[in-house]
Amino acid sequence: MPLELRRPGWSRAFTYSLLGVAFAYALSLGTRAGLDYDPVLDGESVLRICLIGVPFFFLVGLGLFDYWFRWASGAPTVPEDHSGHGAKSWKSYLYPNTDHKVIGIQYVVTSFFFMFVGGLMAMLIRAELAAPGRQFVDANTYNGLFSVHASLLIFLFIIPVFAGLANYVLPLMIGAPDMAFPRLNALSFWLLPVAGFMMLASFFAPGGSFASGWTAYATLSNTAPVGQEFFTIGVQFAGASSIATALNFLVTIITMRAPGMSFFRMPLLVWANFSTSLLVVIATPFVAASQFFVLLDRSLGFNFFDPGQGGDVLMYQHVFWFYSHPAVYIMMLPGFGIVSEVLAVKSRKPVFGYRMMAFSLLAIVVLGFTVWAHHMFVSGMQSWIRVPMMVTTAIIAVPTGIKIFSWLATMWKGVLKLDTPMLFTMGFITMFVLGGISGVMLAMIPLTIHVSDTYFIVAHIHYVLFGGSLFTIFAGVYFWFPKMTGRMYDESLGKLHFWLTFIFFNVTFAPMHLIGVQGMPRRVADYADQFATWNLIISLAAFGTGLSTLVFAYNMISSWRGGRRAPANPWRSLTLEWQVSSPPPVFNFDEIPTVVGGPYEYGVPGAVHGVFGGKTTTAGPTQEPVTTGTPTTSA
Amino acid sequence: MDAAIPATGAHDTHHHGPPEANRSSRVDPQMLGMLLFIISEIMVFGAFFTTYFFIRLVGDQPWPAEGTELPKLIAGVNTAILLSSSLTLHWAQTSIKNGNRFGVKAGMLTTFLLGLTFLLVQVNEYVHIGFSPADHAQGSVFYGLTGLHGAHVFIGLLLLGMVTVRAFRGHFSKEEHRGLEIPGIYWHFVDVMWIVVYTTIYIL
Repeated sequence: MPLELRRPGWSRAFTYSLLGVAFAYALSLGTRAGLDYDPVLDGESVLRICLIGVPFFFLVGLGLFDYWFRWASGAPTVPEDHSGHGAKSWKSYLYPNTDHKVIGIQYVVTSFFFMFVGGLMAMLIRAELAAPGRQFVDANTYNGLFSVHASLLIFLFIIPVFAGLANYVLPLMIGAPDMAFPRLNALSFWLLPVAGFMMLASFFAPGGSFASGWTAYATLSNTAPVGQEFFTIGVQFAGASSIATALNFLVTIITMRAPGMSFFRMPLLVWANFSTSLLVVIATPFVAASQFFVLLDRSLGFNFFDPGQGGDVLMYQHVFWFYSHPAVYIMMLPGFGIVSEVLAVKSRKPVFGYRMMAFSLLAIVVLGFTVWAHHMFVSGMQSWIRVPMMVTTAIIAVPTGIKIFSWLATMWKGVLKLDTPMLFTMGFITMFVLGGISGVMLAMIPLTIHVSDTYFIVAHIHYVLFGGSLFTIFAGVYFWFPKMTGRMYDESLGKLHFWLTFIFFNVTFAPMHLIGVQGMPRRVADYADQFATWNLIISLAAFGTGLSTLVFAYNMISSWRGGRRAPANPWRSLTLEWQVSSPPPVFNFDEIPTVVGGPYEYGVPGAVHGVFGGKTTTAGPTQEPVTTGTPTTSA
Repeated sequence: MDAAIPATGAHDTHHHGPPEANRSSRVDPQMLGMLLFIISEIMVFGAFFTTYFFIRLVGDQPWPAEGTELPKLIAGVNTAILLSSSLTLHWAQTSIKNGNRFGVKAGMLTTFLLGLTFLLVQVNEYVHIGFSPADHAQGSVFYGLTGLHGAHVFIGLLLLGMVTVRAFRGHFSKEEHRGLEIPGIYWHFVDVMWIVVYTTIYIL
């Protein structure tokens, strides 16, 4: 074999992928011939094996397993296997890399790519809904569009982009040279493009893409055309990626903190990712299992969801929501962390109630597992489950409320710097409160029965995921852009982006509450004429929202290429990631810093979070500044 | 799992690496990673058990269905085989701590063979059990749960196979045996999980 095909890389990856397709044909033909099935060549069976198998051939070809294969067979290992460490040029980002900073940028860029694709689908959806009747797409394509839109934005954007941001800043924040398992980290990232590619490719499947929504309820999903399996299997890859990353974060946070960084000196972003990772490790297996069931029903004739054979349809929803309700916190808690970081720095004040902020995260983790059936109030499940779920759902607003009030108290009498990250953060707080209030309304059984499957739900979910998560993502990206790229972004374009997004977002989604209460059903390509005016307004505003992201894209690309050089610490922040150069050196620190105080002592004279050089290593506890969490009203 | 690299201390001297990370916990990172992974695995089984009890308790079909008598005795013997593999694994693990290289090799080989026997008996049971997952939901959960566990035994055997090869190549020593410890925990987990699966499906 020529050298090019023996070396890990894209050529080998494509060659191995072709081998994978050949393997799928051989396995399918061989098994069917052996069992005397007719016909021997079954396209669906080959496709199914391809979907499961080819990604592995691809990843092996790309070189993500070379080190482990050598290790497992007892051969001498090469530390440089799985490619190098650190980026040498932009081309390094196209190959597996074990540097958490490279992986972080790979994550963020890839997930934003999927955000733009998913956003384009939203534009198509709104174009179709601009007027009653059929405009551009037929009903089945429409169903496919909103299903892929949701799946991409949930599994390929919000969840991984938070993992990406944390991947970049979290090891820096805790004073670690890298993540605990750098090679696993690289593998986690490369599973994502696989999953995203699979979901997008479903549009080319016979019978169209998966069209049963991102929830893929049985019995829709186990009787749908083969496009459904692109979701069923794609989610497995995205889920595996997210479990591996979460495990990596947990081990990194527990075992690799700098000396002096006790749990209650960790920045809240670290706390947030700690909590999120707990949720991922515990909950994500359930979505994997739910999709296993669907796959088994579809491919091997199992009867998990066939009521005629004793199967239970509602069981799918229970298993699915036992993951997917915690998943909404997986999509929100890292954002809470970002908001806490930005608010403290931009208000020049310590985070109010630091300990309560940390404990409320853990409370959300625990409570998040007790509310899943509130998604099923109208599903026909046993009615006695409803009231306990209503109560727990209302209770979960309490820790969230603690956070909201603590953020407000952090800003109270602070010296606010209203630049782009801060604007997005404050936009987040207002929008998330609105989304949270409609969430508490939806916890109430009578209201849910009235508005279930209407645009009220669409409005709620977009207020918490767009106005909530996406705003924090924008805040985080602007906030750490100087650190990640070594360049400053354009502040006036950033503000323009914020105001365009903020206004168009509200014009898009606020009216959906109204038409939802009036009964416009979601997930339908057509609607009654009485909703025409509002829908036209919503569609126009949605296009405005779409255009506003172009401002963001332009700002990011042009600033990355030619922005002003960023100083090491443009925001005068105390946390460790700002104490190294921008971008940080390849191994983060020449020597590990020592942490001598809390992370948010803004406005406290002489306060230090971490010191380099080890001069004050022994003086840690005696220099302890005022207790964390006390509001310094004198500021 | 870098610790299992055969003694190449000299390699590090001319390779500029990162500063040594601070160890903020006494727990070994690899060990912690495996324990967290096992939590994840328990939840996968949890989801399958959820299904099992939904179909058994919430469903309205008679339980057990016609013609689903399970071979309790053979499966019981098989359980004993799997459990004894945990003991031989423990023997291998204690041997390496005492520097007994023969014990490691013999222990790992026996463990591997016992695990393989378990898997083959399980496959044999599938062949002779007389119902298929396509017959009814009860068949589906039976094959689902035991199949899920079988898949874990298979993965465990792959890991044990690697460890056995490495044991015969003499890669483990009194000081460096994490490569044996960590797959070992996984195997113990697979064994304990089988007790739960066996009790639920065959006994209850």
